[in-house]
Amino acid sequence: MIINRLLRKNMSPARIAGFVLSNFIGLAIVVAGVQFFCDVRSIYADDDSFIRKDYLVVNKKVSSANTVGGDAAVFSEDEIADLSSQPWVREVGRFRSVDYRVTASVEAGGRGMSTYMFFESIPSRFIDVAGSRWGYRPGSAEVPVIISKDYLTLYNFGFASSAGLPQLSESLMGGMPLRLRISSDDGSRSGEFSGRIVGFSNRLNTILVPEEFMEWSNKEFGGGNQEPGTSRLIVDVSSPGDVAIAPYLESRGMEVAGDKRASQASFLLNVATGVILGVGIVITILSFFILMLSVSILMERNREKIHTLLMLGYPLSEVGSPYRRMIALTCVLALTLSLGAVYGFRLTYIGQLEGLGGGGSVWPAISAGAVLAILTSVFNMVAVDRRICGSWRLRR
Amino acid sequence: MERIERIESIRLSGMLPKVFENEPVADSGVWRSDVEFRRGEHWLVEAASGGGKSSLCAYIYGTREDFLGSLRFNDVDVRDIPVAEWQRIRRSHIAYLPQELALFPELTALENIRLKASLTGGVPDSRIDGWMKELGIDSRADYPVGRMSIGQQQRVAIIRSLCQPFDFIILDEPVSHLDPDNNRIAARMIQREAERQGAGIITTSVGNRLLLDNLKTIRL
Repeated sequence: MIINRLLRKNMSPARIAGFVLSNFIGLAIVVAGVQFFCDVRSIYADDDSFIRKDYLVVNKKVSSANTVGGDAAVFSEDEIADLSSQPWVREVGRFRSVDYRVTASVEAGGRGMSTYMFFESIPSRFIDVAGSRWGYRPGSAEVPVIISKDYLTLYNFGFASSAGLPQLSESLMGGMPLRLRISSDDGSRSGEFSGRIVGFSNRLNTILVPEEFMEWSNKEFGGGNQEPGTSRLIVDVSSPGDVAIAPYLESRGMEVAGDKRASQASFLLNVATGVILGVGIVITILSFFILMLSVSILMERNREKIHTLLMLGYPLSEVGSPYRRMIALTCVLALTLSLGAVYGFRLTYIGQLEGLGGGGSVWPAISAGAVLAILTSVFNMVAVDRRICGSWRLRR
Repeated sequence: MERIERIESIRLSGMLPKVFENEPVADSGVWRSDVEFRRGEHWLVEAASGGGKSSLCAYIYGTREDFLGSLRFNDVDVRDIPVAEWQRIRRSHIAYLPQELALFPELTALENIRLKASLTGGVPDSRIDGWMKELGIDSRADYPVGRMSIGQQQRVAIIRSLCQPFDFIILDEPVSHLDPDNNRIAARMIQREAERQGAGIITTSVGNRLLLDNLKTIRL
């Protein structure tokens, strides 16, 4: 087309290449950052889908004095009240434990395994399992339980291999009946229940039953003893990264249960991703200005031609179209190159990462790159249209 | 603003280029007067150099707006016409041959003409060929305009200005570099095309005027 030939004259391949290169680098950093974040996050994220996020399990430190003196490391009412009043605490719940004996047995492959157990419960509002699957009607023979994943690991890699039993997956284990035998301390009362595993927890090192069951069974089978003091608390915090948390707990002889390193690593991952994204976005913005500048220079050099075409009656949109097309093409090129580079590079590490439990969706990263590329081209196209409008008024 | 379907008249009232604001304008038939150009009429605007005739053409074609007074197409003040509508007017109602020709020197004669013809459509290649033959530049059709003489360039620009539907054609010194023979040929061609479209002709001259019939002359 003649008009294309006219308006592309004075185009500088070096400047366009400069834009494509810088935009490529910026987009590649952003896409790589987002992709790496998605891939690595799942290694550290150990969210239990059935427990509300951002909770901490807090217990008192067990010292030798506790062991020798015989008094358990429990929270006093004052301590619980003080903790509840901290600004970073949304809600505090108590762990309650049983006042009777529990034996659990599982039958697998015709062979049984039986063990002493204990139960704990936390208030139901901390647990995010559909109402019908969690909860207990007094007298019912079926009890939903959430057990620590460690028990499954213990069975699969400790017990099963030594005893010649098949290893079990989470879903298979969940489907297996767990026979629970409860008896009072003096053996006068007992009952049989079947446990239904509704989930495995990475972070709760216990066997959870619904609070309703805890209440009912303690009344039914308990020795009528006064309930022991609260030794563990579940704390719903507004931000687990809050710097005030650690010193507060430290000063009061409390500690957070579970793997803190994972949350620290996940915090560092967030920070690192933030920095990488920041750098990538800055470079992308700079490349946006490079494109804007090169299109401006090109249009300035062709100003007379643009004006003449407008004088001939060419619609403004048609005069702008070679520049808009140029912008779209270079942006698509830069995006394609950066996606190609990032995903080409990802192939070299994704295998190992998946071995570590990583590997996430590619769509957030691709969308981030596409959004940036679209923004870059749209803003530049708007600039082109404004410039053409300006040329129309060249001689006014 | 209502869409202009056909420009029947171009009316100037009390018009004056802003640069002349503080200068006395001696007996001008256009500036500070009321003038009406009607479709079908042939007008010659005679002026001395620097009298503002190119400004007048630019005002009518909408490329400049630095004037006092008012300029109307039918009853529409040109200052109220939006950009997109101006572009449409330039494609289908007013043809314009600027004094500086506004040709693209890197394009051939034929490409320059087609640039306009393809935009407005409706002008068959055969008619363009005929015009080029008539003006004696058919052998130069595939020659870059930048390497042609001014006289040849002027003829290319005349043909290009005819390649669209128009109610008025404005020719700013169209034959300043043409010999009397080519002047007569160009005048006949323009007049024939204007009559076919029922259009008005407004031409300017500082000396060598386009040889049209029934010419009304007005002094700037």
